[in-house]
Parts: sequence; structure tokens; C-alpha cells
Amino acid sequence: MATHNYDYDVLVLGGGPGGYVAAIRAAQLGLKTAVVERENLGGVCLNWGCIPTKALIHNAEVLETLHDAADFGFGFENLTVDFSKAVSRSRGIVDRQTKGVAFLMKKNKIDVINGHGVFVNSHSIRVGGSEYAEVKEERTVSAANIILATGARAASLPGVEIDGDRVIQYRDALVLENLPKKLVVVGSGAIGMEFSYVYNTYGVDVTIVEMMETVLPLEDAEVCAEVEKSFKKAGIRLLTGTRTEQVEKTDAGVTVTVKNVKSGETETIEADKVLMAIGIRPNTDKLGLHATGVDTDKRGFVGIDEVMRTNVAHIFAIGDCTGKLALAHVASAQGIVAAETIAGVETMPIPAERYRFLPRCTYCQPQVASMGLTEAQAKAEGHDIKVGKFPFMPNGKAQALGARTGFVKLISDAKYGEILGAHIVGPDATELLPEISLAQMMEITPAEIARNVHAHPTLGEVLMEAAHAVEGHPIHM
Amino acid sequence: MPTPIKMPQLGETVVEGTVSRWLKQPGERVERQEIVLEISTDKIDTEIPAPAAGTLLQITASEGQTVRVGTVIGYIGAPGEAVVTEQPSVGTEQSPVTSEQSPVPNPQSPIPNPQSPIPKPTGREFVSPVVARMAAEHSLDLDSITGTGLHGRVTKKDVENFLGTGDKGLETGKTTPSPQSPVPTLQSLTPMRRAIAEHMERSVRTSPHVMALFEADMTAVVRHREAHKAAYAAKGIDLTFTPYFVAAVAEALRANPQVNSSFTAEGLLLHPRIHVGIAVAVPDGLLVPVIRDADELNLAGLSRAVNDLAERARANKLSPDELQGGTFTVTNHGVSGSLLGTPIINQPQAGILGIGKIEKRPVVRSGGHPLLPSADDAIVIRPMCYLSFSFDHRILDGAEADGFVGRVVQVLENWG
Repeated sequence: MATHNYDYDVLVLGGGPGGYVAAIRAAQLGLKTAVVERENLGGVCLNWGCIPTKALIHNAEVLETLHDAADFGFGFENLTVDFSKAVSRSRGIVDRQTKGVAFLMKKNKIDVINGHGVFVNSHSIRVGGSEYAEVKEERTVSAANIILATGARAASLPGVEIDGDRVIQYRDALVLENLPKKLVVVGSGAIGMEFSYVYNTYGVDVTIVEMMETVLPLEDAEVCAEVEKSFKKAGIRLLTGTRTEQVEKTDAGVTVTVKNVKSGETETIEADKVLMAIGIRPNTDKLGLHATGVDTDKRGFVGIDEVMRTNVAHIFAIGDCTGKLALAHVASAQGIVAAETIAGVETMPIPAERYRFLPRCTYCQPQVASMGLTEAQAKAEGHDIKVGKFPFMPNGKAQALGARTGFVKLISDAKYGEILGAHIVGPDATELLPEISLAQMMEITPAEIARNVHAHPTLGEVLMEAAHAVEGHPIHM
Repeated sequence: MPTPIKMPQLGETVVEGTVSRWLKQPGERVERQEIVLEISTDKIDTEIPAPAAGTLLQITASEGQTVRVGTVIGYIGAPGEAVVTEQPSVGTEQSPVTSEQSPVPNPQSPIPNPQSPIPKPTGREFVSPVVARMAAEHSLDLDSITGTGLHGRVTKKDVENFLGTGDKGLETGKTTPSPQSPVPTLQSLTPMRRAIAEHMERSVRTSPHVMALFEADMTAVVRHREAHKAAYAAKGIDLTFTPYFVAAVAEALRANPQVNSSFTAEGLLLHPRIHVGIAVAVPDGLLVPVIRDADELNLAGLSRAVNDLAERARANKLSPDELQGGTFTVTNHGVSGSLLGTPIINQPQAGILGIGKIEKRPVVRSGGHPLLPSADDAIVIRPMCYLSFSFDHRILDGAEADGFVGRVVQVLENWG
């Protein structure tokens, strides 16, 4: 791209779903690109998050169906359930996917530099060993532009150390050799809910402790209620509005002391393990960022503008380390914007107010997928809204699948019809969301969605009905 | 090393130019000084010659793209030669490392594949239902709204920005015009319109304008013109009145050097040469090409210069040099019918002479006392013309200004 004598046009620090996608886009645009990765290509998403959890969850879904086998006319007298096989299947998928990313790097002529990168100055990074992998020979690489894509790690409660044995985090929960009898999950975001679903289905006694009033506290209240109903029915104990006061390791396991926020009543729960799923901390503390002048906030998240540029013009940041919306697809989208900005081609910036319209997914059963404002947020912000809601129950395809719960809820601006929020809970909710997110981005309204002919029978018909409902005339109701 | 073609500096106030057309394509042979592309600025369109002979290797600013002066827009070199483009600004920011290192390209760097920024298309291909509804309600012409979406799509936010409403939805009722009173449409400014607006505003702000009005009897000039028109036409010259006025102005300027000057904080800048600009109306504005050393040209020379400049101004074929360096301006607004104008000074000049329409008017001629009634008074009909002189009162006072215009009148009335 340029007359400079740096080693690369673009150096991406971190090979997760943000970093490797940014690198591919940069390479496509003719920029000489390298990725520095201290562990495995694909990052947390591919190795320890999105992908392996989906494998375990599908195992749990199959198992759940087998539990209901009699409804389908199957009988299993000697059903054997081997959790370790679920884990090894999940790791096998990870292995194949990681190789896929390595292939993409090679195909796009992107150099992959193994090791942990630390800034020497704002254009140079020393790559050396870390707790993840040893590096035989340290080297320093330089680039005209740098993209920070270093991700984040699990946060814990103050004074509670994650030991990987009795107090565990998502990484440990993915590769448990033996199922615990009793598990306490602290936090009911996507990670807490997904693991709770898996372990509960595999017969573990699961208790979820959530400080906020509902599980999935960022979701629409009606969605939360629907998920809580299903979880309770499945035998999961939900302690919402409850603060985790203390976690003590004992000889037998752990003792978790919790306190109801309203009543002030405390309770101690004995369990084999406790899974910390309360949020993330950015991986920005061991990068030598001080050598670059890049600003972070008090928690360590890197500040960016709508094209992902930090306060230092040639350094960009994407993904979890920016603290915007810690989801893989958001990181990828940010990475594309950053690469296109560096190359100077047309891009579609992501201004701060855009993030809440990006998709949010939780893959427990029932699945939850949403974007935009909840009904409560829309009202609080003074929007004059129309709400359309339609359940999966009357839908023929949902019945054929044996799905009995869930609904689609659309919230639109009463005057011009702009979609302000979409909330889906139920079968394949995450697969249904893209139709709505595309409509929202292109400013298509429920009136057009309702008149977009949806194939029959499909789950997508529920979207169409919810759109009709916004207009006040659902057909099958 | 390939030779870069750069966006030239086409005048002190010109900061950017738009590539209008490439006459050569990459791979084609070009000779030194051969015209390779056309560009347009807020003032003029012009042609850019090749800085070197060779093959046009690469075009880095495509047609329609606007770039700052000095930006590389293409490269010429030996056939097949690799182009190493200059580092874009994004990578060079505040880096101590950059400045210390020599700008030698990294030998490892691949031949770059610069994807030049895609100019934002102004057209719309998709109007979203939300935008369509908002536009219908407010009777908006979407062509007048700048789209910020992908490929220039007009988004809801663009409409809101256009209407001056915030994120919280549109205020209904008061601001909504009824169907009977459609909202005014906004016509976007052309670069020339914007430049004229900026210049006029600045001039009025800068110079305290005063106007002196004179009247000239054009009989001698009209007679001369009628007598020589055919002979000039035979030489291919269309003899108009303008060169007579330019000639008179040039002579008056020579006699009144302080009118041929510019005001500066340090003092009056007296220009040793006389370069007279003539205002020419063009389809979407006004241009002022300059006749250099107008005082050194005779009527034929001035006629040729006036004809040539006016013609090329209307055809948009002036070179930037021809629009710069004027020390005084003549505006013959009378050609479009006005008797009297109050022109605004073309900065940083000291004054501008407006010429009204020449028409037959009754005037008094007398062989007796100039003011007292006399038997020798007669009302005669003469081709008359008002000359309005706007001048910068910082530079000139009334008496000097009158001395200047008086001289112009004198030259005109005694022509031949």
C-alpha cells in the first residue's frame, strides 16, 4: 500500500473472530498483513466459546429429545449417556475449525506469528512467550497500522479466585472430565444460561444465582419470563435478585453464600463446583499499551470511534477489548470496518448507537435471539410504539418439531413503522433473527415483512404473523 | 522510478480538484506534455499534461473523485514498472519512528494494489419504506438529501438530520407543512456558486465600498466602432464596446497608479503592471478572465483578447493562469440591460468599474455658460452610458476616484 519500511501494512494483534476476519479483509484489499496469536487461531470463540458450546448444546438437545422419546414412539431400555464423548466430539469440531482458519490465513498470504505481543513503540511489537505457549526466539515486528483484537477473559467476583477445579470458568466447564453432582452458576447471561442448560440436561443439579431481577437481564421482560418458566420446569433452581456474597472452598467442594437483595435473607448452598459467569475483563493489561499512547477506560477497554480507530490514528481496536458488545459477530463486523478504513475503501461505519441493533443470541433451550430495544427501553426512551407478538404454539412446523414454547415479539415505531426491537424465544430463534436484522438495517417495516410471503410450513411464518400482529391483524390467532 | 501525476495547485485559493475525465488509460503510451486528463475546480476546468513521457501505469484517482492539491492521481513510467504509492495519511500520524526512518520502500512489500476510495455516488437506488413515509409526509425531495448509507443510500438518520430533528422521532404537528404549502426545496451549491458567495461576502466585509457615478457620451466611440466594424470583421474580430472601455480604463489606471493597487496592513501595494479583468457571465456563475498588460495593447489587440477570453470562459476552456493576477476589473453589466449597477470589488483590488447599457438619451449641449440658461443651449440626443465606479475607501477618497473615472470618460468621449 505504501512507502514505508515497516514489516507490514497491517499487523493484527489477536487471531480471534475479530482479528482473523480483519486480517482476511485487509489481505483482500492488497495490504501486507500478519496476525500475532499467543494461543490458537480462532480465539476464544472458536476454541473455548461459541463453537464448542454449540456442540455440547446440541448433545444436550439430542439427549432432551431422547428423554421425550416415548412421544415419538421410541423406547430405550438401556440408554447410555457418555458425557466425555460429548466433550471429545466438541473438541474434534474445534480442531477442524481451527485448521480451517489456518488454511484461510495461508490462502490469503497472511503471516501468522505465534506468541504474545507487547508493544515496543506505537509501530512495533515484540512477540515472545506467555503462559499459553513458549516461544523459542523473541522477535520484533513492525507495521504501519495495527489492529488490537486481543479479546477478553472471564471476570470473577472480588476475592474469589478461579482455580479451574472447584471454582471454574467457561474454559474449564467445556472440558470437565466428570459431571459434578451439584453445580452453582453465578451469573445468568448467555454463558451461564447455556452451561446451565447443558449440565441440567445431563442430570446435574443446577442452581443459577443472578443479582438482577430476572435471568438474561438484558432481554425483554416477557422473554425472560418465558425462559424462566422453561428452566424451572426442567428442574433448574433460579435465585434471581440474589447476590453471591461468598464462595468458600471446602474439602467436599464449595460453599456458596447468597443473599436475597430485597429481603436480605441469606442462604448457603453446598455444591461440587461453582461456575463464574458474571462477565469479562479486557485483555489489555499485558500489551505494553503505555508505549503507544492508546487510551483505555477505567476497566481497561480501549476507546474507539465509528471506524474502530483509537486515539492513536494508526492503531485500531475491535472486539471484546473495546467493550462494545462482546460477541464474535460484532468483532468480525468491526474488523471489516477497520480493515476497509485502513485500505481507504468505502466502508459502513458502526457508530456507538448502532451496537444495540446488532444481534444477541443465547443458545440454551428455548433459544433466545434479539436485537434493538426491549419494550421497556422503547417506552422509557419516549418512543410511541406498536408491539406485535405471536407464539410458536399454533405454528405447524413448530408442532411437528415438538416445540411448545416461545414467541416472536416485534416492536416498531408507531408513526413510520421503523423496527425498534425484535425478541425471539423458541425453536431456532437464532436462525430466524437475520430476517429482522436485515429489515431493520434497511429500514423495512413490519408492513412489508407481513406481506413478504413466507414458505409454509416454516418457523419463519411466526415472524410474518408477528409482523401482521404489529399491524393489528394476525391471521392464525 | 515512476513519475507521479499530481493534482496541480490551480490558484492560491484552490485546495482541491475533481478528476473529470482520463484521456489515457493505464497501459497507454503518453508523451511529455501530452494531455492525459481533465480536471475541474470550483473555478475552472482544465487539462493536465503528462509530466514525463512513458506509459500510464496506474490511475489512483478515478473519474468523479475529488482530491486535495498535491495528491498523486496517477503514475507514468516504463511499461510494466512497479508503482510504489505514497503512504496514506492514516499510517503516518505522529510517529516518531516514521520520521526517523528513510522513506525507502520495503523490498518485501508486495506490489501494492491500491484500492482507491470509491467516490460516494450521489444517486439513490433504494428508498427504504421508513424513508419513503417520512419523505411523503414532509413532501421532501430525496435528491436534495445527502445519503450517508452504503453507496449513498439515504437513511432515516439522514432525513432526520435534514429536517433538523433528533433521534427521538419527529415532532409532529407544528413543523409539518400542510399539503397546500409545500416546503421549499434546497438546491445544492455548485463549487462556483459557493466560491462566488464566499468571495462576495468577504469583499463586502473587507472593503468599505463607495460608489461614484459618471455618465459618458459614447458618440465618438459608437462612430469609431461603426466605421471600423467591417474592417475588424474582415480580420476575424468581433468589435464590441468592451475593448474601448478596457482601453480607457488602462489609460486612466496609468494616470492614477493608486487605483491600480491593493490595500495591505503594511501599506498600499502599487502594482507596476496593469492587468484588467473582465467579468463574463457563464451558465452557472461568473468568471473574470484577465487581460495582461492591457495598457500595452491597442484596440485590435484588446478586441482579440476580449473575444478570446469571453469565448473560452463560456466554453469552460480557460487555464487557471488566465483567471489570476488581475489588478482591476471591468464589468459590462449593461450588456444584459441594466443602466446602473453597484458592483462589488474583486479582492484584493482597489476598485471595479461597472458599465451600464448604452442608450440614446436627451442631453443638454451648450455653447454658452455651462450652468446659466443660454440661447446656445440645445437638447440633443446622444448615445449615453452610466459608469459606476465602486472603490475601496481605505485606498481612495472621492476626489481621486473621480479623477480616475473622469479620465475614463475623457478618453471615451474623445475617442479617435
